[in-house]
Amino acid sequence: MSPRLLALIPSAVAINLAIGFVVNQLGLPLYLDSVGTVLTSALAGPLAGVVTGLVSQFVRSLYEGFIWLPFGGVQVLIALLAAVAAARHGFASAARSLAWGLAVGLSAGLLSAVISWFVFKGVTATGVTAVTLLLTRLGLTQPQAVTTSSVGTDLLDKTIVFLLVGAMLRALPLRVLGRYPPARRAVAR
Amino acid sequence: MKGRPGIAGQAHPFTLFSVVAGVAALAFLLPAPTGPVLLYVTVVALAILTGAGASVARAALICLPLWVLLILLLAVGGDGARSAIGPVTVSRTGLEAALAQGARLGAVATASFVLFASFDPSRFLDAVAARGWSFHAAYLVVATLQAAPRFRQRAAAILEAQRARGLRFGGGPARRVRALLPLTAPLVLGMLSETDDRAMALETRGLDARASRTPLDPPMDRAADRVVRWSVAACVAAAALWRLHALGAF
Amino acid sequence: MATPAVALHLEGVTLRYGPDDTAPALADISTRVCAGEVTWLFGALGAGCSSLLLVAAGLAPRHTGGDLAGSVTALDADPHSPAGRAALAGRIGYVTAAPAAQLSGVAATVWEEVAFAPANLGWPIERIRAAVPRALARLGVGALHHRDPATLSGGELQRVVIAAMLVLEPGVWLLDEPASALDHAGRLALYEVLREEARRGAAVVIASEDADTLLGLADRMLLLDAGTVAVDGHPRDILAGNAAWQHRAGSTATAALARLAARLLEPVPSGLRPPYPLDIESAIERWR
Repeated sequence: MSPRLLALIPSAVAINLAIGFVVNQLGLPLYLDSVGTVLTSALAGPLAGVVTGLVSQFVRSLYEGFIWLPFGGVQVLIALLAAVAAARHGFASAARSLAWGLAVGLSAGLLSAVISWFVFKGVTATGVTAVTLLLTRLGLTQPQAVTTSSVGTDLLDKTIVFLLVGAMLRALPLRVLGRYPPARRAVAR
Repeated sequence: MKGRPGIAGQAHPFTLFSVVAGVAALAFLLPAPTGPVLLYVTVVALAILTGAGASVARAALICLPLWVLLILLLAVGGDGARSAIGPVTVSRTGLEAALAQGARLGAVATASFVLFASFDPSRFLDAVAARGWSFHAAYLVVATLQAAPRFRQRAAAILEAQRARGLRFGGGPARRVRALLPLTAPLVLGMLSETDDRAMALETRGLDARASRTPLDPPMDRAADRVVRWSVAACVAAAALWRLHALGAF
Repeated sequence: MATPAVALHLEGVTLRYGPDDTAPALADISTRVCAGEVTWLFGALGAGCSSLLLVAAGLAPRHTGGDLAGSVTALDADPHSPAGRAALAGRIGYVTAAPAAQLSGVAATVWEEVAFAPANLGWPIERIRAAVPRALARLGVGALHHRDPATLSGGELQRVVIAAMLVLEPGVWLLDEPASALDHAGRLALYEVLREEARRGAAVVIASEDADTLLGLADRMLLLDAGTVAVDGHPRDILAGNAAWQHRAGSTATAALARLAARLLEPVPSGLRPPYPLDIESAIERWR
């Protein structure tokens, strides 16, 4: 691995973790814990993004317990799809970022639902599980409720992540973008 | 002597990781609900005996809301034959499932927090270097652990700076979402600037050199560590074989 | 007397950072730096001093982006080729003004921080254990060996970062404002170390605005302006004339004296002429 990636990835993971603090301060019911992962995929390609996602999940597991390690698969999926988005100029405008964010949110939500149900019996983070509980009270079966709450949460979360990352990439000066060829393609400059 | 205090702190880093991995595997292989419950009790007992009682309490605190939700979702809201417990009725299969899953979460969380309380990044790096494994992978984990508090502090400083410039955080969801960009963009732009300097520094300090890295103070891999690791592997193998047998594989 | 070996050779080097840039950061620079020589790069902001160091280290344009023309040879290897970089591992010491960004990111103590590079290069542990305390002591930070680098002051951290390169005993030193975080005593200690390094046979190239202190250290000065070498000579000869302040370089007392002397030249032609005094005592003596 190049020194640039060895310098970039820990910082990107640290951003994944630090943004939780920002979200908390704003009182938003979001995670935004994949900003660093999506950014690294867009800047340096899918492999760097996948490593960022995996390291992110591993370090979070050190802090919060290894119970959530299976969700590393979702980080991998997000990283791969973000790289696909970048290759297709997915961050070139707010509209494109929004569209890709929705697509990735749907995909990540479905995978999260599968992991939530089969590994965790539908009980994961408190907020999402509370929504699941509410949906079962409204008549959905447990698998339906888990899927709906996972997809709903991830749609909103990943859309905002993609909009944020897109705005940041488009604001980068050309000299900075020049060091990251995938990012130039991502914003079509 | 390097390493954290206590038996777990003096164990070889790979031993602790093996134990956590073994507990996670056993949590799903052992027959539910008795297996996971006994596993949780065993992990708690071992944690207390090795002086890691605080990790037991911390794990229980993290798991408590999850336990409550498991009861509500699977037991109270579950299907099948029901039993009365006080004023509520619960699904018997749902209760068993909640008990098993709660015990799994508790066991893995407890083992994880014992690991984290005992984790010494320098020992971990030296253990990886001593084995000749990929130093870059270990570097990424340890560098992240060092960077995380710094970025957290930076995020807090940016928040205060933007607040001083008049950025409003309160109000409706739309306004709060709009506040995300001015709070996160400086963090990211600062990161990219620092990345260039750090990459150059890492290169000039030989991080991509072809030589295999010298461990500075490798932790001892004692007989007790090897016994523990092999024991964990044997337990997992036995549980896997039992599981396959129960599924009719042989 | 044997001719000193050429440690660093730039030939026809032109560097452009990006397509938006109207002027190159470096424009057709050719120069040689010999082993045992202390070369001082001096110039206004944007003159190209930092860029020259980055190119000499093989770090630009690879890490900065841009295009490079010309050739660079350091210690008989090309720092811009993979084979050259492998051959030069640990032999070029590159230090900038921002110590925090130069840390390894994984060291729990100052000792580990300084041992980071030798460990990466596969040095035997006995050699590392001997070299690290020596490097720390030379920078006057031996007592900090057990401290967490995150708890150090800016000046202490800069000394540790320099020690982390000093431990390797590089053949070429490339330093970009290395003393900006240091107090006066720290600066003097650093420059004494660099003088010893030059005596050991290393080539030392240092970009700095600190004309007051470097006047006594450097053997040679390259005055850069707009990416070219405007003047190449002995520091005293250059600073005692009009070239330095005409190229708007320097903000220290030496440069201020030169400007003052030059201003006093007008409108009285029979006033002060070069060579200008370079320190307060000489100025008092000259203008008494």
